Amino acid sequence: MERKVSWPLYLTAFLISAAVFVAGIFVGKLMDQGDVQTITADVEGLSERLAVVQMLILTEEADSSAFCPLYASELEAIDEEREKLGYELSFLEEKRKLDAPELKKEYFLLEAQSYFLSKKLKDLCEDDSILLLYFYSNKNCSECGQQGADILAARDSTGVNVRIYSFDGEIGSPIAEAFMQQFNVTGYPSVVIDGELHSRYMSEEELASEFSG
Amino acid sequence: MDLLEFLNYLVAFFTIFTTVFFLLLYLKYRKTYYAEPEWDGWTPSVSIVIPAYNEGVHIRKCLDSLSALDYPKEKLEIIVVDDGSSDDTFEQVEKYNVKVVRQKNAGKGAALNRGIEEASGELIATMDADSHVTPEVLKSLIPFFKDKEVAAVTPAVKVASSGSPIKEFQRIEYLMILFSRKLLSYIDAVPVTPGPFSIFRANVFDEVGKFDEHNLVEDQEIALRLQANHYKIKSSVSDRATVYTEPPDNMKDLFIQRKRWQRGGVRNYWKYKSMIKRDFGDFGMFFIPLNFATLGAFFIVFGLLFNAVFNTPYYAQYILVESIVLSANMFTVMGIFVLIASLVWLYTAVSSFRKDRVKMRFILLFVIFYWYMMMGANILMAAAEIRREKCSW
Repeated sequence: MERKVSWPLYLTAFLISAAVFVAGIFVGKLMDQGDVQTITADVEGLSERLAVVQMLILTEEADSSAFCPLYASELEAIDEEREKLGYELSFLEEKRKLDAPELKKEYFLLEAQSYFLSKKLKDLCEDDSILLLYFYSNKNCSECGQQGADILAARDSTGVNVRIYSFDGEIGSPIAEAFMQQFNVTGYPSVVIDGELHSRYMSEEELASEFSG
Repeated sequence: MDLLEFLNYLVAFFTIFTTVFFLLLYLKYRKTYYAEPEWDGWTPSVSIVIPAYNEGVHIRKCLDSLSALDYPKEKLEIIVVDDGSSDDTFEQVEKYNVKVVRQKNAGKGAALNRGIEEASGELIATMDADSHVTPEVLKSLIPFFKDKEVAAVTPAVKVASSGSPIKEFQRIEYLMILFSRKLLSYIDAVPVTPGPFSIFRANVFDEVGKFDEHNLVEDQEIALRLQANHYKIKSSVSDRATVYTEPPDNMKDLFIQRKRWQRGGVRNYWKYKSMIKRDFGDFGMFFIPLNFATLGAFFIVFGLLFNAVFNTPYYAQYILVESIVLSANMFTVMGIFVLIASLVWLYTAVSSFRKDRVKMRFILLFVIFYWYMMMGANILMAAAEIRREKCSW
């Protein structure tokens, strides 16, 4: 029998597939943009909520320990959402390969805002929570992934109220760089627990002992 | 772009291309889909060879259906090869006016070859003892042989309707395979002459040899050999040319069967890999590479899923629901396209057989459950090959 190759059919299938493929990429980009916009809006929303708390604390009449339960509960709720947003951002970056440095910078500002308020809360209300600043790099740090996991595991295992603020030190975030300068952070991973710098990888056990001690 | 991303793109494009190609093939030939050559009174002599090993339960139904064939009896020869059965197969067969050959158990391929040696017909049909045919099957299939280049013709092999979900899934699967085989016949790329029933021009066995007695899927190997010798294999979807086969009725037997199909299939395509060239038309340039690519794509997807599960970020437990939503990306869009195209494909396939109505719930379960479960046979196949498990029919 005389055989032939159905080139026109393959070419048509190739062109249609290429069109679907390109459309897929386009819709994918739209989805990326949509996700970035959603998280940006969430960051802005939280920032506004933080600003309200900040304003109250700065108001002379409300600068009293009588308002502490209000500040504590509001800050705890905001922090819970803020941490979640951080995970979502990391997920997008790690799993979707989505690069959004501006959003990250905005998120770090939110973290800083929250950190300063928490610090104020500690002074004003004798809040016993631990403030932990974690500096990492997605480019030059083989232990950073493990360090992040160990911080969460230590917090979960001890049950201590640890407020975590993570900063990528290599994306040119002014606030992250300011913190690094303030605490003399020079390498990754680095952890600052209640103002004390640990410029190395800390195991879950070490962290747990720090939290409990 | 890293390797994982590249593999994702590769599999996505391959899947879309294959799905689109088959849909285009259907669109191109849909008007001639049911057009098959009409019987014009030509009645060549036909020998039907039935290898039987412990088929006492099923063979009566098989022989009853052959007794009811609408074909001149003097042109028909039925040969049952009792392949060393230890049950009452021989006693059951003796009740019919057929030729019985008894031999020590030597396997299906050997039993088929023994029957072919005994056969005297111009055409030789091979048939499984657990299958039964419609009365017009010969009159429907024989006209295809008017084309001198046709070496074999395959009927509409189906699974009879039953209440059993596992059989219903296989019924859908057989309809889909039949639909695909018909489309492949338009580009001369039919890769199998199904064991339940196929008809061959007798002299092709002299030219290309008989069945490979040591092959796990000898009905596929003979078809590949015919393709390698540039013979045509045609496929019918006519209701009048229907052959009902008995599929496995439990998961264990089903997986054993699929593991055998997969192992035999990979080995056969590897054996005929030299056909990947333009001389073999679409069969060489598309169908054989498609089989290797499909297997490769499966293991890539399996690897990617494995990687995704075992490389879940440590913080994912805190954003379980959100991470599902955030996982949606361009591959999700392409996946949805492929899923929709596959559903269209499946629906078109099943609905093309007007008399074979399938309940919608089984079609949905087929897509979301059975389809993926059957891919597990690839894992069993790979494990068996790695362990160098002994091949047995």
